[in-house]
Amino acid sequence: MAIRELKVCLLGDTGVGKSSIVCRFVQDHFDHNISPTIGASFLTKTVPCGNELHKFLIWDTAGQERFHSLAPMYYRGSAAAVIVYDITKLDSFQTLKKWVKELKEHGPEDIVVAIAGNKNDLGDIREVPMKEAKEFAESIAAIFIETSARNAVNVEELFQKISKQIPPLQNAEVESNDSFKLTRPPNPTTRRCC
Amino acid sequence: MDSDSPPGSPSCGLTNRSSSFFKLIDTFALEIGELKKEMVQTAPALDKEPLEIQGLHGGAFLQPPRCRGSVGEWDSGYDSLRRRMSVLERLTQTHQVWLLLAVSEDEASDILLKQPPGVFLVRKVLQRKVLSVRLDKDQSENPISHFNVRESQYSFSMEGSGISFADLFHLVAFYCVSRDILPFTLKLPEAISSAKTQKELEEVAQLGAGFWDSALCSQRRCSTPPCHRLSRTLSPQRTKRTAEVEESHQSAPPTLQPHTAPPAGFQDAAPPTGPLCFVTPLFLQTHSRDPDPPEKVADSPPLSSSRCAKPDLDRTKLNGKPRSPPPRPPPPRSAPSRRPAPPPPGPPPAVSRTKSMPVAAKGQQPSSRRPAPAPPALGGRTSSSTKSTSSPNRPPPRPKMPDLEAHRCHIALDDETIAKALSRANLPTCQPPPVAEEPSRSLSGPDERGRQRFSDMSMSTSSSDSLEYSRSPGFSLALAPSPPQHPAEDTSEDDEDAEEEEEEDYGVGMEGDLESRLRPILKARRRRVGVSLGGSSFVLPRSLKGRFSKVGGMLSSLITPEKRAVKRIAELSRDKSSYFGSLVQDYISFVQENRSCHTSGMDFLQTVRQFMTQMKAYLRQSSELDPPLESLIPEDQIDRVLEKAMHKCVLKPLKSVIEVILHDFQVNSGALQQLRENLALARTKKPHELGVDGAVPPDSVAIEKIRQKFLNMRKMYSPDQKVSLLLRVCKLIYTIMQDNSGRMYGADDFLPMLTYVVAQCDMPQLDTEVQYMMELLDPTLLQGEGGYYLTSSYGAMALIKNFQEEQAAQVLSSEARNTLHQWHRRRTSQHSAPSVDDFQNFLRVALQEVGSGCTAKTLQVQPYTTAEEVCSLCAYKFKIPDPENYALFLITEETRQQLAADTHPQQIKAELHSRPLAHVFHFVYRRVDNLNLCVPTHINNGNCLQMK
Repeated sequence: MAIRELKVCLLGDTGVGKSSIVCRFVQDHFDHNISPTIGASFLTKTVPCGNELHKFLIWDTAGQERFHSLAPMYYRGSAAAVIVYDITKLDSFQTLKKWVKELKEHGPEDIVVAIAGNKNDLGDIREVPMKEAKEFAESIAAIFIETSARNAVNVEELFQKISKQIPPLQNAEVESNDSFKLTRPPNPTTRRCC
Repeated sequence: MDSDSPPGSPSCGLTNRSSSFFKLIDTFALEIGELKKEMVQTAPALDKEPLEIQGLHGGAFLQPPRCRGSVGEWDSGYDSLRRRMSVLERLTQTHQVWLLLAVSEDEASDILLKQPPGVFLVRKVLQRKVLSVRLDKDQSENPISHFNVRESQYSFSMEGSGISFADLFHLVAFYCVSRDILPFTLKLPEAISSAKTQKELEEVAQLGAGFWDSALCSQRRCSTPPCHRLSRTLSPQRTKRTAEVEESHQSAPPTLQPHTAPPAGFQDAAPPTGPLCFVTPLFLQTHSRDPDPPEKVADSPPLSSSRCAKPDLDRTKLNGKPRSPPPRPPPPRSAPSRRPAPPPPGPPPAVSRTKSMPVAAKGQQPSSRRPAPAPPALGGRTSSSTKSTSSPNRPPPRPKMPDLEAHRCHIALDDETIAKALSRANLPTCQPPPVAEEPSRSLSGPDERGRQRFSDMSMSTSSSDSLEYSRSPGFSLALAPSPPQHPAEDTSEDDEDAEEEEEEDYGVGMEGDLESRLRPILKARRRRVGVSLGGSSFVLPRSLKGRFSKVGGMLSSLITPEKRAVKRIAELSRDKSSYFGSLVQDYISFVQENRSCHTSGMDFLQTVRQFMTQMKAYLRQSSELDPPLESLIPEDQIDRVLEKAMHKCVLKPLKSVIEVILHDFQVNSGALQQLRENLALARTKKPHELGVDGAVPPDSVAIEKIRQKFLNMRKMYSPDQKVSLLLRVCKLIYTIMQDNSGRMYGADDFLPMLTYVVAQCDMPQLDTEVQYMMELLDPTLLQGEGGYYLTSSYGAMALIKNFQEEQAAQVLSSEARNTLHQWHRRRTSQHSAPSVDDFQNFLRVALQEVGSGCTAKTLQVQPYTTAEEVCSLCAYKFKIPDPENYALFLITEETRQQLAADTHPQQIKAELHSRPLAHVFHFVYRRVDNLNLCVPTHINNGNCLQMK
């Protein structure tokens, strides 16, 4: 299958659990020893999607206000942005709105925007009603999902939804790649290694 | 042939040829030296020892002398040269003839239809290379068959075959001597295969694709028979073999016929799997013993069985020893499982034989064409038959060998193999006849045939041996027999020995010179190696050995073509007589002399980046690289290799100048001063003041360590290498953070920490370093991990630079946006990357017709080509019936001028390009009389200068 690299940028206030979501997403399904990366602020994970493999290159950003101005460098060239807020912190939802606005103005065209309300395991101290967030997401045609990185709820789904919204490559190309690959067993490399 | 060279007298002619041999030997020595170096990287200690021991005695060395002797008899001196040229060399030097990437299928058919079976071309269809081969008319309805070449990340292989090669030349060379999945072996055009001198090859090469229509091509064909003789004579062993082969042929004619099956059938057999093995020089030897490893499994078992019977009988006769047919050598891909048996010289042959039979049948036809060669072989070489017989006998590897020995042998193989390969290659190479003969060989003794082939090749062919090693200890044992190759030593050994003896036979005469030449080198090697070997250090488990060899093999096959390509490009870049070289050198001196013509450091770096990108595009499109890059590097790796080469030829010489320029910008703009002040201030801040929350910062020792890494980073010219050092720094920071708290940190924690570290390091130079990397790194890498941490470093520097500013945030964001904009520009400028049209030797000319608007073509126009000449070129290209009514015009936004016949359009273009302001201009070829036709300004003919 064709592998497509997709840059995904994580935005959101500090402390809302951006990196927890990614760590959960990346680590749940991989051996811990598989991808020796530098650190958790840049992680990758490959997931199948239709005829393609999507390799997510996940760029975490620092959420503190003082780093806000650096964000454009991180979201440029992104295929998708995940904007995370904390359902127990109304402020983080306000920040989210600022990010949405900035992306619309300065972000890449066609960027897929996903809104993730994290910490939904803490429903009893919720400050952001799900309905409100959902309506906001719909108003900007964004993906919306509530997650719990801690309990591994909806994390995978979040990225699946993103995958589905990524427009497939030109059909012809995909197909040719595909048929090309299907004709032979995929992993000569591994065999070679043993 | 026989008459020319009596088979029996191998030793004669030694003296005559000695001088020429010296040269050859020197070359060999050099080449071997190089190979060794490469090998050393992989398995340093291991390789050397064995060499010493076995390499010297190896049959490989022996062989050449022999040939030499025989040749000497009839040959006055050039022959030796000719022999020296291996199939690989011939292929490499004449790729202009057969490597016709731009040729269409129809054109290929046109060319090949006039050629004898086995002649081939390599074309490119879309992104894939295709091997088009002329088949025998009788064998298939379609006289031309096309085989896809598959390119993996690091290697080339035929689709359906399990054997991979480092580059296209090795692949083709391999298929010239071993058919593997092809219906028969490839054949070089007579003029190439029989060329005796480099000069002859050069002449052929100069014709390029025109060769096929040239007299040389057809002429040679006619004269083929004589050539055969020569070639035969050249290598006595050969002849012997052929003779044997023929014998066998005759004995088993019935078997042959069934084999004649259409080639297509063979292909079917090929499994779709990816290649299992890499062919590397290291393993040539093993492989050579293995007659036809690659041969189709597909050969239908029924056929083979029937065939087998006969051959076996023959063999038995010859050898006197009945042997059960060894299992057929595993096809490369299946190989892993079967590994144990195949590699060893003995067993595979038998198997291959059966398989090969069909091949033989096909091959025969060619041979029939060339009757001359065959007969001599028969007469002269009867003795050789014994050899052939022996080969079938080859027993499986003997397990008895002590590990250590096996070890050595195995290791020895590498160097020895290479030496052998080299020497052998040279010997037989020249034979055009070999191809013809090959088919016949298959009949008699697969082994021999295999050997022959390999011997023909100068190149490295090894099958999956490396794999086999690792897989089955048995295999490695088998290798042990390799010592037998050295004739003297091994004679005592059983079947293998017999086989070995064969080799001896031929080896004996010739190699003396070579050996003596090589010896010093070998010795030197040994000494170094020897030390390590002596110790117990060598007692690696077999399986481990296998790994080593495997890795070694892979690495050498992987690294070599890439290195070679980079090296070649670098050489070209220094050669001012080449267009590429002059561009690069001119650019370098331009940058060195004009440091102040840029508005900012970033601007400057972008022009450098753009230049590199242009040069990459140029190299991809030009034919200056010889051989073409596509033949060395798989398509999807070409860009990466080019990038690396650009770093070497552009950034390496310019690094210091770039640093000075960037520094000057910093100083002149006052940025450096400000940065220093801010760094000093930031340095006084505690981690939490920079936003660090919770994670423990590196202590002063760690900071010093990081500082050293940054200093090392500064020494690199390659942005890639710089980035990899930067990543190490980041990793270190992360490790420290996590060690102290055990939790995962995201960017919320990392970026502040990085800022703190950068502040503590107090290195203002880092600013330009980051700039250098960001602007010069291949933009495609900017999305990955390197890009991420580079971006973070940039962010950290940006924060520090603006540390004092009250409105830091605001300034920053505008600055960041600006950066974003710049990136954008760069990315887009990549898209509109300069086309060939922008280069000096090309000119884009639009044809303007009254009724039909404009069509434009890019023409190759030298700097001093006159407008008149361009006009006639245009008339030809545009197929203008009345060129006298047309002229060349230069059209800019407000003017239109007809160019006088004696002006130089390229000079005009250069002049326009050098103007400070952007100009849109077009060269238009049009009728002189419709003076009032206005040219739509939007016609972009590629010469627009708007940018900048």
